[in-house]
Amino acid sequence: MSEPSPSAEPATTGPTTRRGFLTVLTRAFLGLWGLGVAGAIGVYLRPPEHGSRVAERMVRVGLLENLKVGEALLVRHSDSPFYVVRLDATQVVALSAVCTHVRCILGFDRERKTLTCPCHDGRFDLAGRVLSGPPPRPLASYTVSVRAGEIFVQL
Amino acid sequence: MSEVPRSGWVAWLEQRINLTEIFSFLTHFGFVYTPIDTTRPLSEVTRELARQPIPTYARWPRVLGLFAAILFALEVVTGVLLAYYYRPTVDAAFDSTRTIVRDLPLGWFIHQLHAWGAWLLVLVVVVRLLRLFWDGLYRAPRELLWWCAVAMAWLVLQSDFTGKLLTWDSRAYWAAVRGMEVVFALPVVGPVMAFLLGGRVINDDVLIRFYVLHAMVLPVGFAAFLYLTFASLRRVGLGTETLAPATKVTSFREHLYGMWIMTTVMFGLLASLAVVLPFRFGSAADPYSTPSGVRPPWYMLAPYAVIEGGPGPRWVLGLFLLAVAFAVLLLPLWAPRFAPDRLDRRSRIAGIAAFALWIALSVAGALMEGR
Repeated sequence: MSEPSPSAEPATTGPTTRRGFLTVLTRAFLGLWGLGVAGAIGVYLRPPEHGSRVAERMVRVGLLENLKVGEALLVRHSDSPFYVVRLDATQVVALSAVCTHVRCILGFDRERKTLTCPCHDGRFDLAGRVLSGPPPRPLASYTVSVRAGEIFVQL
Repeated sequence: MSEVPRSGWVAWLEQRINLTEIFSFLTHFGFVYTPIDTTRPLSEVTRELARQPIPTYARWPRVLGLFAAILFALEVVTGVLLAYYYRPTVDAAFDSTRTIVRDLPLGWFIHQLHAWGAWLLVLVVVVRLLRLFWDGLYRAPRELLWWCAVAMAWLVLQSDFTGKLLTWDSRAYWAAVRGMEVVFALPVVGPVMAFLLGGRVINDDVLIRFYVLHAMVLPVGFAAFLYLTFASLRRVGLGTETLAPATKVTSFREHLYGMWIMTTVMFGLLASLAVVLPFRFGSAADPYSTPSGVRPPWYMLAPYAVIEGGPGPRWVLGLFLLAVAFAVLLLPLWAPRFAPDRLDRRSRIAGIAAFALWIALSVAGALMEGR
């Protein structure tokens, strides 16, 4: 309780004494507990993955005859909306509708045959290549198959 | 003060900001029982605080108030974590709870901690009421303390009651229905509660109100009363000087260590209970089929027994229950104010009798369900 005299000071503190060792040990255990609690809360808070199976990644879009040549259809498919564009009588392409810049939803420019971002005026051609603007990456394109007159897109 | 050259991050910070000033805000909450000289360094101030003498009798019973505060903090933390994933609609309530309990890492543990923490909190606030009554701490100058304790007990019971429904577990759902039956049987209070809860039939409107009350309104009220409790503690103290003068004196440091040890033990107990005796989370509630053997929550069994089994019409019994509740709340008004020892013993005996009656009625209520 009494104030330790200056000469006794070095002997009662520091990691080499029993008291110092116990202090370090206590703090280490408290720190470990803190880390444990933080880790537990961390794994709980990590957003759960809504992973979809392969079967669910095959999207049925609709009949080919309903999509005119030169037209595009925006498919509102959960996290990954995409465009289906009919280029000519047989050729159909599917492109992600999410801009690679800040995830705005692209608009389809019928005259110029481009996908245009309303946020920063980034432009993509129908192969997904960046024509102009800030987008850092090309758009993802998906495999399209037409079976019995129906369009399927493999995400 | 002797000028000991200090080092370390505390000293580094102290050269830049006034830590003592920041620390001194704790005196508002009554955690620290002395004025603090904010011109002095923090280490000196805390060292002096630690040596401050306090009477030994203030140590152990006070743990109840500390438990109430710490369990409340635990409920807030786990409750916020649960609220990140919970969706309060009739369709999604059970599914989202099942996601937490079954799919999320450690979700079951957080859920069980929340449930067992609530159970312990109910126990603590009820025992704390008994303790305050036993030591006569409802008398002047501690009326505010008593009112806070009654309000906190009421808020905790409400929180427990509203929280039970949220999981949409079958048994919890029907326990809530049986509990509402007791509340709605009370005159005046029943219709008011029905209005506040959004109706007598549990649907989406009622569920969201239960959720808002449980997650926002009631906790804020509890926190306010907790603050009032600590703030008034600082003024009036918790000692029973008139009854038993302190024979021993301990230091504030030892007091804090004692509380720290009790807190650790409590958390150990809580974690063990959560793992060893988990609350049941079974099947989703079906509003069209009542499982057998559901009963109101345990703290509602006594009023249930009075309402269902008492002599006379229900509204008279309801009035009687309300009168009892107000008698408890207004205890400082009618209990002997300046009590010599003899009177004090009489009020203690009356308290024991009332407690025994409460337990008997609870048992009766539980047995009525067995029929």
